[in-house]
Amino acid sequence: MQKIIVAFFALFLLGTTAYAQKYFTRDAKVKFSSETPMEKIEALNKSGTCVLDAATGKMEWKVLIKGFLFEKALMQEHFNENYMESSTYPNAQFKGQITNLSDINFAQDGKYNVKTAGKMTIHGVERDVNIEGTLKVSKGTLEVLSNFVVKPEDYKIAIPSLVKDNIAKEIKVVVSTTLAPLKS
Amino acid sequence: MKKQTILYILLAAVLVGGIVGYQLWNKPHQDLAAAKTDVAVDATALYNEYNTDENAANAKYLDKVVAVTGKVKDASKDADGAVKVNLDAGSEMGVVACELSPFAKHARTEFQPGEQVTFKGKCTGLNLDVVFVECVESK
Repeated sequence: MQKIIVAFFALFLLGTTAYAQKYFTRDAKVKFSSETPMEKIEALNKSGTCVLDAATGKMEWKVLIKGFLFEKALMQEHFNENYMESSTYPNAQFKGQITNLSDINFAQDGKYNVKTAGKMTIHGVERDVNIEGTLKVSKGTLEVLSNFVVKPEDYKIAIPSLVKDNIAKEIKVVVSTTLAPLKS
Repeated sequence: MKKQTILYILLAAVLVGGIVGYQLWNKPHQDLAAAKTDVAVDATALYNEYNTDENAANAKYLDKVVAVTGKVKDASKDADGAVKVNLDAGSEMGVVACELSPFAKHARTEFQPGEQVTFKGKCTGLNLDVVFVECVESK
């Protein structure tokens, strides 16, 4: 009888960990800002996606360029047509891997620092990047926050010399979202 | 011509240039409610087109005023009050996601699952879901 109980609990535990291995969102917020003495520009996208496999630490983020909204229509137009060429390169993505996976206990509520390494693709240019952030485990969901910097020239985004003083050399990006367990 | 006349003409030119530049700079976002619909499509058909051939669908729908009709799967409001309505696309995973425009006024921001709605907006492409921004409800 005892063996059966132990076996039952073992199965139960296996079942729960297997269930919550993948996390997902379709509502990730990606905000970027460019600040120069001349001008502050901000844009926000509210429909980024992320799939995170907690078992392996693999993650994939993707955002549609045309989904970035600017206060000024003219800036949104220039961003899409001149700088990001969003009809040719409709999305940006990050495919990576958590490198300190053993520091994170997905079953234990708490805040964890996360380190990742992976490939960022923007404007059709793929680059190796390391991105850090925090992950807060709370009642089975994961609140993710990350701040990082993107340099337009790294991704062959040409800024005309006429406006080069209006657009920062380093664009600040903030990604925030809550990932929920993916039911499969 | 008198010097004064030339000066006035120059001043007028500078003023007109300034006004045109200022207006261009502050050009409002496209009024989707008043805009003519370029393409009208059913949410499920649109989602299937995107999953069959993404490039062809992008060529057909990006940068167009698209009216998409479907059944509300769920709707949500975020901390900033921004509303997103997901339309059923006949798929377990994907939906047609419609972000209500932050630049327009809306007659209503509450949507019930199961009701049939049409949104006019800008299609931004496929990201698991087909995502629309700057949406306004169309009667």
